[in-house]
Amino acid sequence: MERTTTMFQPDTVHEIFKLVWGQLASKGRYFSDIFSDFFSFNGKSLGSQLCSTNANALKLSCELLRLFVCEAVQRVAIIAEGEGLSTIEGTHLERILPQLLLDF
Amino acid sequence: MKKREGLSDSQCTGQRLRNRLKLAVIATAEREVQKHEMQISPHVMTALADLTFKYAEELAKDVELFAHHAGRKSVMVDDVLLAAHRNEDVVAKLRAFARSFTKSKEHQPEKKRKRAPNKEPDACA
Repeated sequence: MERTTTMFQPDTVHEIFKLVWGQLASKGRYFSDIFSDFFSFNGKSLGSQLCSTNANALKLSCELLRLFVCEAVQRVAIIAEGEGLSTIEGTHLERILPQLLLDF
Repeated sequence: MKKREGLSDSQCTGQRLRNRLKLAVIATAEREVQKHEMQISPHVMTALADLTFKYAEELAKDVELFAHHAGRKSVMVDDVLLAAHRNEDVVAKLRAFARSFTKSKEHQPEKKRKRAPNKEPDACA
């Protein structure tokens, strides 16, 4: 029970995606002014619509986020272990951050 | 839900989602940290949760652009795989994960496919 409530949930990820897409739509798209013709499909502009998301794609996104967190924690733990400390501090995170962001 | 003053609707939902994601990040990180028998300081956890939320936002943008580029209106599994293309190991893991849940669903359509050819001769006759 606890496991299911504290895992990354597809619903949460879906809500985040929708929030971001909503913000993008209201802001006007990335290239909408200049390139709107290139982003049109069947005569309709795709930029003005919100995406829907496949359920499996959401599950996969959750897994990707989970991997991201696990990878971060493991790398941080290795650094902290190397320094002989048992508590992970901010400086450890700072050290692994650049490579972590390059890897994801 | 009680709305906080000075926050717009989207900011409020943003905050709510941030908290929900933070919960998941904390649970995942705690489990991972326990394997190493270490402790993680609270502000590292906050930073990690923030980082994950930002990453999720970037992922949303990427995945949507990929879907649009493919001329689709819905995001599929392939788009997420493409979003992780920077790291081959991650892609391999995600592929395996994707295969695990497509396999379980493939059994049902197969049954239908088996039945379908039986009906065809009847239709022809």
